[in-house]
Amino acid sequence: MGNLGISPHRIPGVRSLCAADVVCADSTGLPVRVARPPLRYGTMSERPPATGDLNSLLRRIAQHDVDAFAEFYDLTSPRVFGLVARVLRDPGYSEETTQEVYLQVWRNAGNYDPAAGSALAWVLTLAHRRAVDRVRTEQAAAQREFRYGSASADRPADVVADSAILREERRQVAECLDTLTDAQRECIELAYYGGLTYAQVSERLSANLATIKSRMRDALRGLKNCLGVT
Amino acid sequence: MTERSESELLELATPYAMHAVSDSERAAIETRVAAASAAVAAAFDDEVRLVRETMAAVSASTPVEPPAVLRGRLLASVKSGSARRFRWRTTVFAAAAAIAIGLGALSAGLALRSTAPPSTPAQVFAARDVRTVSGALPEGGTATVVYSREKNAGVLVMNNVPPPSPDTVYQMWLMGDNGAKLAGTMDAKSVTPSTTAVIQDIGKSNALAFSVEPSHGSTQPTGPVIAELPLI
Repeated sequence: MGNLGISPHRIPGVRSLCAADVVCADSTGLPVRVARPPLRYGTMSERPPATGDLNSLLRRIAQHDVDAFAEFYDLTSPRVFGLVARVLRDPGYSEETTQEVYLQVWRNAGNYDPAAGSALAWVLTLAHRRAVDRVRTEQAAAQREFRYGSASADRPADVVADSAILREERRQVAECLDTLTDAQRECIELAYYGGLTYAQVSERLSANLATIKSRMRDALRGLKNCLGVT
Repeated sequence: MTERSESELLELATPYAMHAVSDSERAAIETRVAAASAAVAAAFDDEVRLVRETMAAVSASTPVEPPAVLRGRLLASVKSGSARRFRWRTTVFAAAAAIAIGLGALSAGLALRSTAPPSTPAQVFAARDVRTVSGALPEGGTATVVYSREKNAGVLVMNNVPPPSPDTVYQMWLMGDNGAKLAGTMDAKSVTPSTTAVIQDIGKSNALAFSVEPSHGSTQPTGPVIAELPLI
């Protein structure tokens, strides 16, 4: 526990998000790629989705544009499936839940409000909510815990996308996760990836509710500042 | 709202944004935000947004390519338009009660003619890779397909599905990368409270779709697709 599944790559002296001159944060704080040729379908996971593209795709999906849906899927599905699989830890459930997420995207693209956040955060919020609901429905906490060890150990093999860009992005996130305290990381692990409520986290860690709430809040603030999210 | 309860509410923004609250607590929080002052509600919403943007950025650390079959299935589903109307539930357990009832007569018949070569349904049920997909039809009733890629066939069971309206038929289509292939036609007379049909040559198709067609039938789906069962 406390390990977010990312091997820490501490590179001395590299602190700025833009230091590598490859990935910077755009105005929404999401990483955007700088000066790279467009990639073809099938390798989309190598391309961090840009907010503007996704917004216009969602507008077209709301008009039932199948091509836009396919492109939106290609741009976002590794992030969505990866998050869902991280929470559910079961390939079958993860596939089903991801399918439900994208059918929801198809039906509800018109509900997306750019003023309320980025399109990527919107779809990942849908995905996380469904994954958490599924975990709680299955009530398979004991079994998942049992599987946790092997799933964590296997994690690096899951990751298919391994371009230099992604490695850079992953490294930055890993660095930021590294700036959290162990206690903060543990809270994020249990609540966000484990699907526990903050009350359950407090029971699990025998810490009071106020402590857990402030750990979660501090962890998120730390990450937000480190990642340059605005 | 007192200052104390306002700050308490804001403390819940992070767990709320991370779905780390129970259903009842979520509802209570939403009620409190709706009743809060505009300034407090805006602060709450802003924190929720920042948490979600932050976790979206963190998702860069966990990308996993989904199985390729999922893309094809989703595209077939949205192309048919069925996704807008209802959602299929996919099940992977072996033949359930619905099928047992639907095929009771069929299997009894098989048992009596034990010397005959096994029928398609018997082969499907005996297959090592037998799978079940089931869903509710928007018109009412349920449809279940038991199928085997190895045997290249499936058995469709429809329970309590209303017959097609006059001058129309239901047609079934195997959906694949090359479009729709006709898999069967059912008129009002052939749809009973418990209807079974054998589907041959499922090949690499990724879904079984149902459409409403004129009574003479169509060679390609022209009417509304009322349902689609994903064949995983």
